[in-house]
Amino acid sequence: MKKMLFLMLALFVGISASAQTLPDVKLENLEGKVVSTKDLADGTPMIISFWSTTCKPCIMELNAINESLYEWTEEVDMKVVAISVDDARTVSRARAMTSGQGWDDFVCLFDKNQDFKRAMNVSLTPHTFIVDGDGTIVYSHSGYTPGSEQELFEKIKSLK
Amino acid sequence: MKKFLLLLCAAALGTSVANAQVPVGKGQLSGSLESNNIYYGPDKTLEELGLSQRPELPFGSHDFLKLDYNLDRFSAGIQFDGYLPALAGYDIATYQQRETKLTGFFTKYIQWEDTNYGVRVGDIFDQFGNGLVFRTYEDRALGFNNSLAGARVHYNFNNYVSIKALAGLPRLYDVRSKSVFYGADLSLSISDMAGWTGGIIALEGSYVGRYQNGAMEIIDMDGNPLGTDYLNMVSGRLNFEVAGFSLRGEYAAKLDNDIHNANFGAGKGNVIHVDLGYNYKRFSASATFRRFEGMQTSIEAMGMGLGGGNVINYIPQLTRQYTYMLANLNPYRGCSAMTANEIGGQFDVYYSLRNPKARGKYWNFHANFSMFNSIDHMSFGEKRLGRNAWIDGNFDVERQWNKKLKTAFLYSYQRWDEELNHWDAPEAHYCDSHIFVADVTYKFNKKHSLRVEAQYLLDDDNSYEGDWVAALVEYNFAPMFSFYVSDMWNCEKSEKNLNWQTDEYNLLHYYQVGASFTHSRYRVQLSYGRNRAGYVCSGGVCRYQPAYTGVNLSLTASF
Repeated sequence: MKKMLFLMLALFVGISASAQTLPDVKLENLEGKVVSTKDLADGTPMIISFWSTTCKPCIMELNAINESLYEWTEEVDMKVVAISVDDARTVSRARAMTSGQGWDDFVCLFDKNQDFKRAMNVSLTPHTFIVDGDGTIVYSHSGYTPGSEQELFEKIKSLK
Repeated sequence: MKKFLLLLCAAALGTSVANAQVPVGKGQLSGSLESNNIYYGPDKTLEELGLSQRPELPFGSHDFLKLDYNLDRFSAGIQFDGYLPALAGYDIATYQQRETKLTGFFTKYIQWEDTNYGVRVGDIFDQFGNGLVFRTYEDRALGFNNSLAGARVHYNFNNYVSIKALAGLPRLYDVRSKSVFYGADLSLSISDMAGWTGGIIALEGSYVGRYQNGAMEIIDMDGNPLGTDYLNMVSGRLNFEVAGFSLRGEYAAKLDNDIHNANFGAGKGNVIHVDLGYNYKRFSASATFRRFEGMQTSIEAMGMGLGGGNVINYIPQLTRQYTYMLANLNPYRGCSAMTANEIGGQFDVYYSLRNPKARGKYWNFHANFSMFNSIDHMSFGEKRLGRNAWIDGNFDVERQWNKKLKTAFLYSYQRWDEELNHWDAPEAHYCDSHIFVADVTYKFNKKHSLRVEAQYLLDDDNSYEGDWVAALVEYNFAPMFSFYVSDMWNCEKSEKNLNWQTDEYNLLHYYQVGASFTHSRYRVQLSYGRNRAGYVCSGGVCRYQPAYTGVNLSLTASF
């Protein structure tokens, strides 16, 4: 067991990557239809943000993005995908919240058993990714401090 | 231990320096590391009051290292969970099977995911419906992981039919269970079959079985077996959605006698769960009703008293989980510990008032109510009628005034029966709290911001611990740094905080100071403070956290 662990750690120390393509996981959308995460890559760059109803900084971050979205989309073509990792207990609350917070311009998807969260190697929420139009992950950030959404916009602008 | 920590630090550092792509062959490697460490310091006040005992080894560390490899439709991965050793208050500390204090567990998988079918061998995370008969998942905040080691196949036909089957051995803390689980799940999309595009109608159903040799050997006083070697459970579901309205209902039943974790009784079980939802523009409402009896199903057929990790299905508490300290002080932790049953529901209403042209200003309103009762319960060996276990009525208002200023206000009324989970208490003892929270965020400029929380808990008629007051100040320097200081003070004398030996009241302060640093995919958080004994809940499941004063260090990294 120890050997295996050292091998894993060595791998972790030795290499590190930033480019990865979106994994293919089936999620539910707001209407309850099953959609594939591969289909998110439709040529438009995007912000993918993992959130849950019990994660306050996640909601603050999505609200901050929502406030700036009009200004941002005037400058660049982009979209925002909000992935709720709420499970069966709170997923109906999460659905209600997407309308109740005015997130009409977001693509809202629901990852009820955290399959996409695991596939994207997210440990803590909020965790936000910048993905280009081809589905390549170019940047990610965990945690939220008011104002850090500006960094996301700078990154998405630099994709051009 | 030190070596290991050094290695972890080296790993985190190494990854933050390098930033190259990792194409391995034609595929890609990705991974993550999470390490949560606590050093338990001495705290004479807590020890003298008998509220806490410093662990012999005053250190605990939960570490998770995960690596995944993807090549087109093929993927494989491995994860190591290390409890080096387990932190105080986690069930794994009590129920770990291996003798060594430093225990760990490997999970691994290989998977092929095609357009219409998929195969996975190794550790499986999955759930059927709401998880009422089957859910395997991981929740690191609870130290929970019941992944099923086995095989799973699934197949979809034209969106009309989707079918899934699996079998394997669940994980129980740091070993595999002695029981085997097997099951299948079928989903029929009636709306797709009928070519109806205006909404969704789906019928679904599942079956789950548990086999464990020797479960029959546990008998009652008359010599009748309490359990069964072969346990069968079924579930049926209906999903209906049209024009912003949704109805999701599930009924599940346990068809054979099973030993309940509560009351040492046995019996069959059933559960009904209904969700209703409605969205119209910026208004939305949702309501949930649930009733269950004897439906919690343990992994080990004879495994009473094996803690919160010994469960294969998901019947969580449905109450609102708060993000404010005092509103979360006495969370509802279910009445089923002594009753194995519950009936109740909750509803939420959301409304957002905003001008679509001016996004910098808005009001968000939210109200929530929940109420849960036990159906019946055993007390002094007698079956008694159920009683109210929990009520929570709350509302919150959030106002973004302009680009700089945001305020939020929360009020919550909570009422619970403190005696419900006590075996020998026939009478209810109700505790009532009113909680008030004000939360203000001010952004000085694009990078600097300040957040302040002020909270008060009013204990009606001194029914529990008396009043509490709390405050938090947080300063953020985006996007990298955040600092905070907080204190929570039990400021009113009550029977609960009276020390009978000294005749003095323990009006304790629970203080915290902390900082976090984030850079891209790396995050370090360091804090010091005194933590109150109480229930920590995640995803509707709670664990008891003993009081301690100490240092927390957590690291996360991913690539």
